[in-house]
Amino acid sequence: MMEEAAVSAAAAPPRAASGLRGVWAFVRASWLNALAVAIVSIVVLLALVGPLLLGSKANTADFADILRGPSSAHWMGTDNVGRDLFARVVAGARISLASAALIVLLAAPFGCALGILAGTIGGWVDEVLMRLTDLFFAFPAFVLAAAIAATLGPSLQHTIIAVAIVYWPWYARLARSQVLTLREREFVLAARVSGSSTLGIVARHMVRNVLPIVAIQMSADAGNAILSISALSFLGLGAQPPTPEWGTMMAGAQDYLQTAWWFLTFPGLTLTFTVLGFNLLGDGLRDWIDPRLRGVLRGGRV
Amino acid sequence: MTGEPLLSVLDLVVRFDTPQGEVHAVNGVSLDVGAGETVGLVGESGSGKSVTSLAVMGLLPSPAGRVASGRILFDGKDVIGLPERDLRKLRGKDISMVFQDPMSSLNPVITIGEQVTEILRAHEQIGKADARTRAADLLRQVGIPNAEEQLDRFPHQFSGGMRQRVMIAMALALHPRLLIADEPTTALDVTIQAQVLELLVALTRDLGTALLLISHDLGIMARVAQRIAVMYAGFVMETASTTELFADPRHPYTVGLLNSVPAIDDRGKELRPIEGAPPDLEDAPVGCPFAPRCAWRVEACWTTMPPLQPVAGGRGGTGIDHAAACHNPVTAEEVRGAAPLRPGFVPAPPPSGATAAAASEEPL
Repeated sequence: MMEEAAVSAAAAPPRAASGLRGVWAFVRASWLNALAVAIVSIVVLLALVGPLLLGSKANTADFADILRGPSSAHWMGTDNVGRDLFARVVAGARISLASAALIVLLAAPFGCALGILAGTIGGWVDEVLMRLTDLFFAFPAFVLAAAIAATLGPSLQHTIIAVAIVYWPWYARLARSQVLTLREREFVLAARVSGSSTLGIVARHMVRNVLPIVAIQMSADAGNAILSISALSFLGLGAQPPTPEWGTMMAGAQDYLQTAWWFLTFPGLTLTFTVLGFNLLGDGLRDWIDPRLRGVLRGGRV
Repeated sequence: MTGEPLLSVLDLVVRFDTPQGEVHAVNGVSLDVGAGETVGLVGESGSGKSVTSLAVMGLLPSPAGRVASGRILFDGKDVIGLPERDLRKLRGKDISMVFQDPMSSLNPVITIGEQVTEILRAHEQIGKADARTRAADLLRQVGIPNAEEQLDRFPHQFSGGMRQRVMIAMALALHPRLLIADEPTTALDVTIQAQVLELLVALTRDLGTALLLISHDLGIMARVAQRIAVMYAGFVMETASTTELFADPRHPYTVGLLNSVPAIDDRGKELRPIEGAPPDLEDAPVGCPFAPRCAWRVEACWTTMPPLQPVAGGRGGTGIDHAAACHNPVTAEEVRGAAPLRPGFVPAPPPSGATAAAASEEPL
């Protein structure tokens, strides 16, 4: 009788562990989780304190030190105008993480609000909103983001907006699907029987049950968002030189691939590991909270 | 029962629109519950018990379910067609409900305390601290130890019986005048069932709350209900006081139900199940829905549903409030024999015009 099967995160008993104890339990669950937490912590730490320690080094050109290989003075070497690559990669971490956070924080609340609205009201509101999301799903996400970014004009801000615009429909769909199943759950009926209003039920029962799933999706999406921003910047649609954005840096390094391998390799590797870290984190959280969500939530996308 | 009943369901007809067609869930149910009375609603799955109770709460699943006709009077006022705002004031405060499965009727991610206070805050302007004190009192009232601490726990930390106690505490929080309990003990362990039932009965008695108890368990009904209504395929077949119904059933379906319950002192006696299966509710009812399974059926049963009529108080003399919907009621001797004993009586064959489906449901 006690072994009630968890149908979704909503049904999963919330982990009693909280804060650091929760993190520790998550890390111990699988070595991939440990790896994910390690990578994400390092990147976050670098983004937070790195630029403070390295000061303005990221944008200080030194023409005496052009295209030097990795050394004790320049851990990742220098670029074509003698800037320290390590300082630039670290500065890039801050840009990437901030952009990803902005994208997810724009897309998730907006998408969830519309999704919950569609699922709760139903009828033509649902129909209109869902056809609107279909419109977005009709194009490959990256192509659509590129098109929007190009229309708005090349800049980091515009890229962030473009990617957020492409991401919100996923959250709308996710929230709506959760609301549709929650709506049929008996505790919602029980709340109605108690005289709760629809608004009260949405606030108390729907939002709180949708939240964990959305949080997982956000962590997985952070990786995708970083990749999208870098890719768009690489194409020249995003951050413009001399901004130390990873994609922008890699675009500048293309010409030096044969003479200075480190120029392209280090930003590329950092990007790869960061995205890997966030994707692993998303997958790990999803499996940890409820393995059955595998079909509901998507992993890496772009 | 004297004066106006608290709840009066009159000729209630509920239909569901489904892609497969119209489902005839409730086909004209009449039912009274007096203030403070305990009424049992018995019937098998799909007989319309739960739908009737949801209709009373104004909570038929929309847009599929609708009250096609009939009236539901609560305290003399018709609740059908009341605006949602007024219904909401009624729910929880005047009419409350306990569901079958306490696992799913509590939200797994919200603390017990918050769920118990939810009903208080839906109806009263009440501060957080006050609501908490009240919630703890309520839990104590339903026999939950360390109530104060339990408020911060989650439903999965409670056993099934404890959860149902919480549900009862919530349902009775505002001292409603009517409590509808829909199979409140079915999902519980047998050892817990009696305790929870006793609690439910004791609390409703103390509060003067009328109880409409929905169950398929005649044993529970015998113990708790003052009056019983027997439902089948969306109709009320028979209604009587509990003692009267058990002593002097008139409807063949009631007789069949009573005969299919094992009794502890009847060991070795063969159980007699009711042959056949309930009708498909997608078909519009023609005649009595029990006719294809009934050994007492006469020709009229195939074509007209008899109204629920007062039973002539012959036997026992307590025919007050005893009504049955039957063309050919069962006699006292036949109840014991569980078969028509009149010489030369054969169940009427389906009329020639009847559907093949009806004919095939003939008892073997």
